[in-house]
Amino acid sequence: MLVFTRRRNEAIIVADGIEIRVLRVSRDAVRLGVTAPPDVPVHRHEIYEQIREENCRAAQGSAGSAANVPEALVRIRAGQGGEG
Amino acid sequence: MTTINSQGAATTRVDTAFGTFQVAPHDVIEFPAGMPGFEQCRQFVLLSSDELAPFQCLQSVDGPAASFLVIDPRRALPDYRCALSETDRVRLGGTEDDALLWAAIVTVQAEQTLVNLRAPVVINPSLMVGYQLMPSNSLYPLRFELTRLY
Repeated sequence: MLVFTRRRNEAIIVADGIEIRVLRVSRDAVRLGVTAPPDVPVHRHEIYEQIREENCRAAQGSAGSAANVPEALVRIRAGQGGEG
Repeated sequence: MTTINSQGAATTRVDTAFGTFQVAPHDVIEFPAGMPGFEQCRQFVLLSSDELAPFQCLQSVDGPAASFLVIDPRRALPDYRCALSETDRVRLGGTEDDALLWAAIVTVQAEQTLVNLRAPVVINPSLMVGYQLMPSNSLYPLRFELTRLY
């Protein structure tokens, strides 16, 4: 891992044109500004992790849960109150 | 296994948790970023059958086998509307929103069926390219319980 020391208003550049700038520093938080090309997604790590975990659960479950699908379909088609 | 279908196109057999399907090369959807947790899977097919409807199967055809059950999120919530970011639009090829296909990932459990409305898969069918969106400010739940269809 590359480690930098940056002060307020200082930045690092990643690859072509991705800039990460320190905007504000407080006791236990750092406010960062990210400037990136429009096709480069930027996410909070925990949001990516949450979705990754949910995807893994869904994919792992899909093999085991295939047997449950017909019953689930009957349940939701019946709609517990009717379709539509 | 490659066979020739009635239209003369070469098709490949794809085995999924939800049955066996024949897919043609033009059925393959590129996922340039993979999917979170399945970053090595760059090609998927969206498979339909009468038995699965209204679910479909989003199945990887390269990298590790990944098989997802998906549903059009509007079948779960009719007024579902997830905003596309500028990055999403650029990566999807800047098409009209109406032309996009939406697929929310479903987890079927013994007692309940959960739909990920927070991070839907969006496909541009004219470019056959897809991404899983990761909106930072979505109010839709990661685990919406599907109890009825619209």
